[in-house]
Amino acid sequence: MNSNLQAITIETDVLVIGGGLAGCMAAIKASEHGVKVVLAEKANTENSGCAGTGIDHSWAYIPPVHEPMGYSLQDMMEDHIQGASGGFVNRELLYLAVSRNYDRMLDLEKFGINIRYPDSNLPGKFRVVTQFHSVPTSFNFDGRSLKLQMTREAKRRGVKIFNRVMITDLLSSDGEVAGAVGFGVRDGNIYCFRAKAVVLSTGRSNRMTRSMSGPRYNLRVPAEDTGDGKAMALRAGVGVINMELLTGLWFNIGGNEINLGSPRNTTQPAGSITGPNGEVFVGRTQFYDWRKLGKEKIEAAEVRRQWLQLRSAPPDYYALRRQGQGPFFLDLTAGTEEEIKYIEWSIGNEGKGYWWLDSIKQQEGFDFRKDKLEYLPNTRELSIAQAAGVVVDKNLETELKGLFAAGDEVGGLPFSSSPGAFSMGWQVGDLAALRARKQNSLREVGGEAVDSLNQICTRMLEEKNGFHWTELELAVQQVVDYYCGDERSENYLVRGLERLDQLRAETPLMAANAHELGRCLEVRSIIENAEMVMRASMERKESRVQPSRFTRPDYPERDDANFFCFLSQKRVRGEVKFSRITFV
Amino acid sequence: MHTPVLFDDSVCNGCNVCVEVCPMDIFAPNPEENRPPLVLYGDECRYCGACWMRCPRRKDKALKIVVPPSMRVSILRGARTEVRG
Repeated sequence: MNSNLQAITIETDVLVIGGGLAGCMAAIKASEHGVKVVLAEKANTENSGCAGTGIDHSWAYIPPVHEPMGYSLQDMMEDHIQGASGGFVNRELLYLAVSRNYDRMLDLEKFGINIRYPDSNLPGKFRVVTQFHSVPTSFNFDGRSLKLQMTREAKRRGVKIFNRVMITDLLSSDGEVAGAVGFGVRDGNIYCFRAKAVVLSTGRSNRMTRSMSGPRYNLRVPAEDTGDGKAMALRAGVGVINMELLTGLWFNIGGNEINLGSPRNTTQPAGSITGPNGEVFVGRTQFYDWRKLGKEKIEAAEVRRQWLQLRSAPPDYYALRRQGQGPFFLDLTAGTEEEIKYIEWSIGNEGKGYWWLDSIKQQEGFDFRKDKLEYLPNTRELSIAQAAGVVVDKNLETELKGLFAAGDEVGGLPFSSSPGAFSMGWQVGDLAALRARKQNSLREVGGEAVDSLNQICTRMLEEKNGFHWTELELAVQQVVDYYCGDERSENYLVRGLERLDQLRAETPLMAANAHELGRCLEVRSIIENAEMVMRASMERKESRVQPSRFTRPDYPERDDANFFCFLSQKRVRGEVKFSRITFV
Repeated sequence: MHTPVLFDDSVCNGCNVCVEVCPMDIFAPNPEENRPPLVLYGDECRYCGACWMRCPRRKDKALKIVVPPSMRVSILRGARTEVRG
């Protein structure tokens, strides 16, 4: 590939960075205000992001179901605060998701998604199942093709989608956002987007740790999400929280790394975890019988009390192993026919489940009624439980004026996932469009950002003695796994950061074409995310279990007086500074 | 190292939907028209199944996802366990 890159400028009112669920929702909503909307997506919006090959549920307060049973919106808030997040939650974001996501579920129907089931006895013929709360709150839909449908809806409304464009940096002028620059991972062009308002929604930060199953990108979560948004936000002076909560080692379906719950989500209530001789490690659980839903009035506070008592952290499988127990199996063999049918429907509508279930049935003759799936260590991740992401105010605006964020880009809402994406996406689409309408003209930006990206790309294309991006990515993952693993002491974290610095300085990357150059830019994001994780791990001088296990052998006690808060890191004049954000 | 997707030359007509939608961009259109795409970056597959799911000739097995041995799930076959909560 020739190293003279072409620069293309695009002017718009609203720019959405990242076309997953949140970004597509934002673009769809913004388009209602009659403004020009451009969406830049690194892959293809039809099948990208966490919902790329499907999603079948989303938690929400569902008034026609929950009100008559005596379960209030406040009850659901309390369930989420006390149960799912251990208090580590931004209540404004939580309220938005709890109270508004039902309206978004109804919107899905307008996009052509089925949300009603003839066999349901609930109002609206809805299907609602247990997942994160004391009563069923997870709303089901046939979401296998949701991303395709949302892409069609966005296009129908005039949203201009630029697929295969990876945004690398935000543009600002006088403390306000002015657009973004990016790289065409197929065409090799440099893109400069000028916009009056920008939505950041690139999703999660993956690929910081080594893959457990061999193929480097076979992860539970999408491998195209490399934390580009968090990296560019930090570079632009925006605060990022919860990065220290990268998981330790954890167990789930081994090999494929498909997520079938703990087994208290997708496979509830049929699932249990048993040993080779039928010994039970996690019993079949049923906090609330979903078949009673809508038929009885409950004492919500009492149901919550029982639920909090019954639910416990998943067993420490490593500790059990050290005692000679296991191996462990996800066991649905005690499930009823109705439960198995439902679980297969659910798997087939979400994530990698559709082809995976087809393949294990066709190729292995697998049957949940008699066969069990082994629980094995899965790749560590910065998952939804941790709610790592950028700091936003109650209007989802970041510290850079005019820059909004949505979905998994936002920090502070554990288990945000699709409810966060739908509700925040809608909200920022609205607010970004309103802001754009109030601005008369685009802000002037210099060409420095384009020149700088051009230089980075040119250097990698012209480099003859550099390294392939896979070599550096693996080296970074080794550093994170060793120095920032299950136990993280100060000395190890200091050493880990030194080693990342060294890798950065001594490992020039080279690229032969646009595809490889895109991967090199992803590795840059991965390094910056890994640095954020290590810095934040150093700053949290305590140990705690929720919202995710975080162990500092040099600070073994939980310290609520100093650390029951979000730790925000922010680049100020070239240096990263921490501040504490108390829960609102 | 990995060949994550195998095309059946006699079924695939090279419509390239998989090339367009693959989130990891591992394919390229075949220079010869109406022929299956090329798998350029097999090691970058994330096994999401988008190519398979979106293939208009999926039912006729135009393509197959090949699961590497290290990625195969471990299945315990046997009798039902009576598990109570």
